[in-house]
Amino acid sequence: MVKKYQQIMPAVVCMCVLMVLCSGCWSTKPGENDEILSPDSIPEDMPLGARQDYGRAVTRGECDSQPVYFGFDSYQVADSELAKLAVIASFMNRNRDTLLVVEGNCDERGSNEYNISLGEHRALAVRLLLVRNGVASSRIQTRSFGEELPADPGHNERAWRFNRRANFALYRKR
Amino acid sequence: MEKVKRILLLLVILFAIVASGADVNIVKDGVGAGKTGIDLSGLRVAGGADSKMFLATLQKDLVMSGWFTIDPAGSGTLVTAGKCEAAANSLTVYCHVSSRGHRKVYLNKTFRGVTKDARMLAHKVADEIVFSVKGVRGIASTRIAMIGSHSGRKEVYLCDADGGNLVRLTNKGSICMSPNWGAKAGKLVYTSFHGGFPDVYVYDFKSRRQTKVAGYPGMNMGADMSPDSKRIILALSKDGNPDLYVKYLKNGALVRQTKTPHAAEASPSWSPDGRRFVFVSDKSGSPQLYLQGKTRWKPRRLTYQGNENVAPDWGANNMIVYSSRRNGRYQICIIDPDGKQKRQITNEYVDHEDPSWAPDGRHIVYARTERYRSTLYILDIENDAPVRLMTRSGDWFSPAWSSR
Repeated sequence: MVKKYQQIMPAVVCMCVLMVLCSGCWSTKPGENDEILSPDSIPEDMPLGARQDYGRAVTRGECDSQPVYFGFDSYQVADSELAKLAVIASFMNRNRDTLLVVEGNCDERGSNEYNISLGEHRALAVRLLLVRNGVASSRIQTRSFGEELPADPGHNERAWRFNRRANFALYRKR
Repeated sequence: MEKVKRILLLLVILFAIVASGADVNIVKDGVGAGKTGIDLSGLRVAGGADSKMFLATLQKDLVMSGWFTIDPAGSGTLVTAGKCEAAANSLTVYCHVSSRGHRKVYLNKTFRGVTKDARMLAHKVADEIVFSVKGVRGIASTRIAMIGSHSGRKEVYLCDADGGNLVRLTNKGSICMSPNWGAKAGKLVYTSFHGGFPDVYVYDFKSRRQTKVAGYPGMNMGADMSPDSKRIILALSKDGNPDLYVKYLKNGALVRQTKTPHAAEASPSWSPDGRRFVFVSDKSGSPQLYLQGKTRWKPRRLTYQGNENVAPDWGANNMIVYSSRRNGRYQICIIDPDGKQKRQITNEYVDHEDPSWAPDGRHIVYARTERYRSTLYILDIENDAPVRLMTRSGDWFSPAWSSR
């Protein structure tokens, strides 16, 4: 009895494997379950420059910069915000004696320390885009305040939306 | 019959295994079991306010240790005899603790100090009583560092484990964050914005000196000092992305620990042996806890439950306490480094944040936030309801319990 099973076993296994393979062929049309992979570029380390050389602040009259806003727990710069970056980039490209600190801020949700990291990420994301717009990386510093300096002290969605931001602090070179 | 018993035993074991894997809520109210009643009426007090302060502090310390109840005169398992005398500038305490009927003597000792240190002397006596009766080291003499907005700015404050003796350490009129202790409570590391950027400073209690230990471009944040006080681990963004680094304090050498271009790392905390650390990373899409040891770049994810797990503190008992967002509120949870034992400690519908272990591995200090006001509370994971640390005005957060 046992022997008989042993003889049949390989045949059964083979049939099972065949069935699985065939079912796979029939059920899938080409391309249906294919995952679309777009290459994810890994940015090079772009070390921050030295902190000295920051002189007097550039006034609002000289450059009217608007804060860049972010989604919840995100440091992606939305397309709607890109025009604000273009203003800064073109000002800095025209005024070669200026330096910039991008200040990252968060809403009050999340731990204080995590928010400092998230705010820094927001500032760095903005910095990266400015560099792509032709501003030398050595001219841009970052500073994260996390949830410490809300623009709107409220505790609601509206306030949070205004608090998830990157501000621009422009300085003349010393 | 024997067979039935065996099956029952098997079922119990099976149930225990299943239960230990689940997230068991252990919140209990009221007086916990295992406490010993102590009658302090035999301690006579002479010499005015300092002696009275001594006795009041001792009482509170013994209750806070979690091991004792103060019983009325004539009741309780333990009796005390002795006196507390203040004369000129000195305070002398003679303390005798024994079982009722004096069959067993636990403590028979004289303590001396100066009157202005009456509270410190009481903490010392309380720790001696805990040790002599229960055989474990108490926490009455430890301290708690925290961030307070009492002055309108965020400064580093310190108080005793019972909430007394509150002092402000920094006075820069800026933002301070994330205090953490080194070994033996001799050093405190924290982040301050007073230089314009978030930089990391170490305060030495012996020399009273504050030294900047990390002022790299960008962010310098959330440092924790290794148990041997020789290294700090912190988050830096100098290379263009927030990552974790270890800095050797003696020669200033810096060793990068994580490399995640698309994620932010924060809140590292050393293991008790200083060979591993736990930290927060959002590389999975939400902030979660990860462990990392000597092999760099290979962290292991520790938490899966809860859509945010933050602010870990790895205690001397080898358990990690952290804040986990559950049903919209942060709750205190503990987990072992293997991720096998998990417990949710709090369940009240308010935020419980920034937990920190006491060195006894039994008490946890945390910030409780309700309607946007934060105060510090202490909880005992064995039993008892949480106790408010102190009642000063202002908001209090980011507590860190010292080592001994």
